Amino acid sequence: MRELIDKLIVNYPYVAALIIFVIGAMTVLTRSNVFKKLLGINIMESAIFIMFVASGNIRGGSAPILNGNNSEALFINPLPSALMLTGIVVSVSVSAFALALILRLYRSYGTTDLRRIALMGNEVADK
Amino acid sequence: MREMITTNLPVFIIIAPLFVSFILPTLSKRIKLVENLVISVEILGIALAVYLVSIILAQRGMPLIYQMGGWSAPWGIELKAGSLGAFFALAIAIVGLPVALFSKGNLSVEVGAEGRTARYYTLYLLLIGALTGMALTNDLFNVYVLVEVATLSCVGLVSSQKRPQAAKAAFRYLILATIGSAFVLGGIGFIYIITGHLNMGFASQKLSDIWQNNPRVVWTAFSFMLVGFGVKSAVFPLHIWLPDAHSVAPAPASAVLSGLAVKGYLFCLLKVLYFVFGPSLMQVYSVHRILVLAGMIAIVAGSILALAQSELKRRLAFSTVAQVGYIILGFGLVNTKGLAGSLFYLLSHAVIKSALFLSAGAIVNVTGKKHIKDLAGIGKKMPVTMAAFTISSLGLVGIPLLSGFIGKWNLLLGSLETENLLPVIVIIAGSVFCAAYLFPVIRIAYFEPAPDNDLKDPGLPQKIALILLSIMIIVLGTVPGSVLELANRAAAELLAVL
Repeated sequence: MRELIDKLIVNYPYVAALIIFVIGAMTVLTRSNVFKKLLGINIMESAIFIMFVASGNIRGGSAPILNGNNSEALFINPLPSALMLTGIVVSVSVSAFALALILRLYRSYGTTDLRRIALMGNEVADK
Repeated sequence: MREMITTNLPVFIIIAPLFVSFILPTLSKRIKLVENLVISVEILGIALAVYLVSIILAQRGMPLIYQMGGWSAPWGIELKAGSLGAFFALAIAIVGLPVALFSKGNLSVEVGAEGRTARYYTLYLLLIGALTGMALTNDLFNVYVLVEVATLSCVGLVSSQKRPQAAKAAFRYLILATIGSAFVLGGIGFIYIITGHLNMGFASQKLSDIWQNNPRVVWTAFSFMLVGFGVKSAVFPLHIWLPDAHSVAPAPASAVLSGLAVKGYLFCLLKVLYFVFGPSLMQVYSVHRILVLAGMIAIVAGSILALAQSELKRRLAFSTVAQVGYIILGFGLVNTKGLAGSLFYLLSHAVIKSALFLSAGAIVNVTGKKHIKDLAGIGKKMPVTMAAFTISSLGLVGIPLLSGFIGKWNLLLGSLETENLLPVIVIIAGSVFCAAYLFPVIRIAYFEPAPDNDLKDPGLPQKIALILLSIMIIVLGTVPGSVLELANRAAAELLAVL
């Protein structure tokens, strides 16, 4: 048990990522407000980003900038951070697209609550 | 010149649609030009795909490898066009052309203004480019990026009609697909954390050495990948977004979504399972059993749900859920026959389901009626459309001499090899179900008296598209020859028994 707790404390970024991921997933799945769903998705993705960035980190390492004097220094792995830059770009474009869809939903249904939209679904469509 | 084309072929085949797609919005005033450009890109795509296939067959399955920007494998992004990649690239090309032809001329009716038509085509070519990229890439992070490009263009296609339901279905699809991407990215993250590689070949080598040190991380990576790609490819309990999304999209869009996009994610799942984890690791974690079970449940549940639908396009959408089951089931058989059958079925379902959605779309556009019971006598008024619908229904059921039969036959042989009778029974029962939900449409269309109104077949490009797809269904069923050989080689490549 003690060993497990020690492991969890040493790997705290991963534990944090897990907790954030679950919070995000719960928000998406249980909330019916479209904005909350969108926020939940962003939280989930942030958790994955944290996991990736933490995996590239080396304690005591510095940013991998080679300037001639520090060739012996300990560098962190820059690749996961660079990958997550792409991930953030993707996540931003998904959010932008989702906001555009929310605007369309609000204009045609007059609400941002998915449960209500589902209830009135076909009447609006038949108009 | 020829050598230059051969070495750069894997890139050409991906960037041709991507480049053209970004030109299209600037041409939104000249819609005829846009349509012709898209069709010529698709013809170029077929030419390149057939050339790629011929090279791979001539080299006896030796892959063409291209290193992006000249950076070699563990550092740079690698494109690898083996038998498997070439097979899927061919599938994309031969479905892409008829769908583009079908859109010619009557798309602005479905999506509204002409400016929207150009944007629709942009998304369409982006989707084709991203799917071709998924077929050929050999890098895990590249897979994620292409999956996201494909997802966003799919959601765009679903929302391309102005109806409020389109926005609703698209939003639901976007949310669920993004959850799927988060899981896929998480799975890639776990693989990267324990292996330190993103290149599939290197990750796989490293993984087979060190998986015993981190058995739970491998298990988590497996489940993240299964859930992530499972949501995106609508494997049964995760299919809830599919019926709405595929039935509200314009006809050509639902054809390409059901025919190709779903297959793209399945294909990525296949690549990750076999090229990264490998068949032996799959057996250690019993993933192949999960796949067979999920496939069987999807076949039965999807078919029953399809039977319960009264709208034509929704029935076809639920039928996709059932047919995805066959493909997943084949992935879990882990033998050459089963995998080759599954791949051939993937191609044949891509062609058949596009034909079905296109003819259903033509019927709905002409008659304005969505329900199956309103289609009485359509067969006499729209002979070409209904003939294509009939041929493809027979193909989907698996009548011999049509393409669905060869896929199902190989799947059956593959399941017999595993000495488990349940999949055999489910595969055959699935065919019966399929007949049960498709044949009533044909009966109503041909054998019930037609109302007195003036209905006609759609225009010439639409007819050509339907005829092309029907011919492909018959040709793939009667002379599968080199396509089946390619599928067999791809299966051998997956099982690493070259």
